[in-house]
Amino acid sequence: MSEKFVIPIGPQHPALKEPSHFEIFVDGEEVINATLRLGYVHRGIEKGAEQRTWTQNLYLMERICGICSHVHALAFAQGVEALAGVQAPPRARAIRQLVAELERLHSHLLWLGVAAHEAGFDALFMYSWRDRETVMDLLELLSGNRVNYSANLLGGVKFDVTPDQKVRILDGVSFLEERVQYYLNVVNSDETFLGRTRGVGVLSREEAERLGAVGPTARASGVPRDVRVDVPYAAYTEFPVRMVLSQQGDLQARFVVRLEELFESIRVIREILNNLPESELTARMPRRIPAGEVISRVEAPRGELFYFIVSNGSDKPERVKVRTPSLANWGTVLATAPGHKLADIPMLVAGIDPCFSCNDRTVVVKTVR
Amino acid sequence: MSQEVMQEDLLRQALDAIRSWIRAEKTPQPNRVDVVIDREDLLTVVETLRRIQWGYLSAITGLDHPVTEPAEGESAQEGHVEVLYHFCEKDKVLTLRVSVPYSDAVLPSICGILPSATLFERELSEMFGVRIEGTPDTSRLLLPDNWPEGVYPLRKAFTGFPEAKEGSDE
Repeated sequence: MSEKFVIPIGPQHPALKEPSHFEIFVDGEEVINATLRLGYVHRGIEKGAEQRTWTQNLYLMERICGICSHVHALAFAQGVEALAGVQAPPRARAIRQLVAELERLHSHLLWLGVAAHEAGFDALFMYSWRDRETVMDLLELLSGNRVNYSANLLGGVKFDVTPDQKVRILDGVSFLEERVQYYLNVVNSDETFLGRTRGVGVLSREEAERLGAVGPTARASGVPRDVRVDVPYAAYTEFPVRMVLSQQGDLQARFVVRLEELFESIRVIREILNNLPESELTARMPRRIPAGEVISRVEAPRGELFYFIVSNGSDKPERVKVRTPSLANWGTVLATAPGHKLADIPMLVAGIDPCFSCNDRTVVVKTVR
Repeated sequence: MSQEVMQEDLLRQALDAIRSWIRAEKTPQPNRVDVVIDREDLLTVVETLRRIQWGYLSAITGLDHPVTEPAEGESAQEGHVEVLYHFCEKDKVLTLRVSVPYSDAVLPSICGILPSATLFERELSEMFGVRIEGTPDTSRLLLPDNWPEGVYPLRKAFTGFPEAKEGSDE
C-alpha cells in the first residue's frame, strides 16, 4: 500500500456529467481502493422544506432531480395524502403511474446513452438519445413540459389524458418498443461493447444484499427488490408490473435488466391507456396536515426512493427526509472497484446510473428577504 | 417458502427476535413498526437483525428535538437528536429509534455489521452533529470544505449565517 498512487477525479472533469469527487488509489493500472466526496450540488432542500408550506414543497421536491422529477413529487404527494387520510381518485392514480412509467422510459434511455458514451460507443449514445426525444415529446404533449412535468397535486393530478393524446402515446411507445429491442440486441451481441461489460463489475447477490443495493443495480444481481411489486402504490395494484431479474450481476446484466424493464413499462403504459378508470382527478386536501409521521416509498428509475415525512399539524412540515436510490447504490461501486482497471471506473460508476442532484440535497439556506 | 404466510408474519418475526431490547413500540402505519431502543443495545439489535437476515438498511433519518421552553415550575429539558434506522423487508418497515442528548451526541457505528451504512452515518453526523464512533471514514461527504466546525444545518437552531442574512446572495 505504500507504493500506491492517488488519482483524483472531479469535481469538475470532462468525463463526468455532474460534479462529484473520487479519489482512486491505484497500483499501476489496478484500482486498489476508491473514496467518494459528494455535496457539490447541495441546495439545502431538506432544510428548505421546513420553511415552506405543504403545497410549495410539492414543487420543491419535484426539483430535487431533473431526470426522475415525477417520482419525487409522487413520493411526497403520497406521503402527505397518507398523513391527511386522503386517497387520490382512481383515474389520478392511473395517470400518476402512466407518467412514472413514461419517465422510466426516458430515464433508462438517457442512461443507455451515457453508459454507451462511457464505453466509447458514441454511435449508440447518439441513437438512444435521438430516440429518447420521442418520449420527451410525449411527456411535453401530456404536461406541457419536457422535464418537471408537474403532474401531481396534493390529492390528485393536474391533467387528464385526451383521446388524441392516447393515440399519440400508443404510437410513440410502439416505435420505442422496436428500438429497445434493437438496443437489447446490440448490448448482447456487439463484441467490442461486451468486452467492456461482460464479467466487469460483478456484484454477487450476497454482496448486493449486504450493501443495500436497490433498483436495477440490485435486480441485475438477482435481488428481488422492486417497490412497485413489493408495496404497490399509485395504480400498481390494478396495473401490476413483472419484476425483471438477472443472476449475472455484471455490467451486462445491468444493461439487460434496464432494457427489459422498458418492455414492462411499455406494456403497462398500453394497459393503463386502454383501461383508464373514470373518476375525478383530485380529492380535497386540507391545508393543515394532521400531526404524524409517514414513510413513503416509490420505485424511481434508479431504485427505491425513500421519504420520511413528519407533520406537526401545521401548514408546514416538521421534517422531510429524502433517501435517494443513488446514495444507497454508491456502496456497490466503492466495493466492486478494487481489482478493476482504472479504465473500468467510468463504466462502473455509470453502471448504477448515479444521479448527483439526487444525492446532494440538504444544507446552505438562501436568505429569505 | 410459503410466501403468503411469510408476508404476514415478517414483522412479528423481527419483533420476536429483538423483543428483549425493546423499550417502547408503536405502529404508525399498517406496514410499519417503530421500536425505541437504548443506545447501548443498538449494535446487538442490528446484529440480531442481520443474523436472522431480516431486511436491509434503507435509510438513517435524524430528527432534531430542541430544548422546549419549560412550563412554569418545571426544569428545562435538554435538547436531543433522535436517530431512526429504517429496515425494509418487502412491504414492511421496521424502524429502530435511538435518542442521544446534545451534550453526549455519540452513537456506535453499525458499519462493522452493515458496511452500507457508511454514507448514511456520515450524512447524519454532518447534518445533526452526532458523532459516530468507529465509522470507517469521517471526512466531509456533503458539506462544503469551508463549512465551520460545530454548525449542524439540520438542527432546528440553525437558521442560516448572519452575514448571509444582511442582503448578499452568498
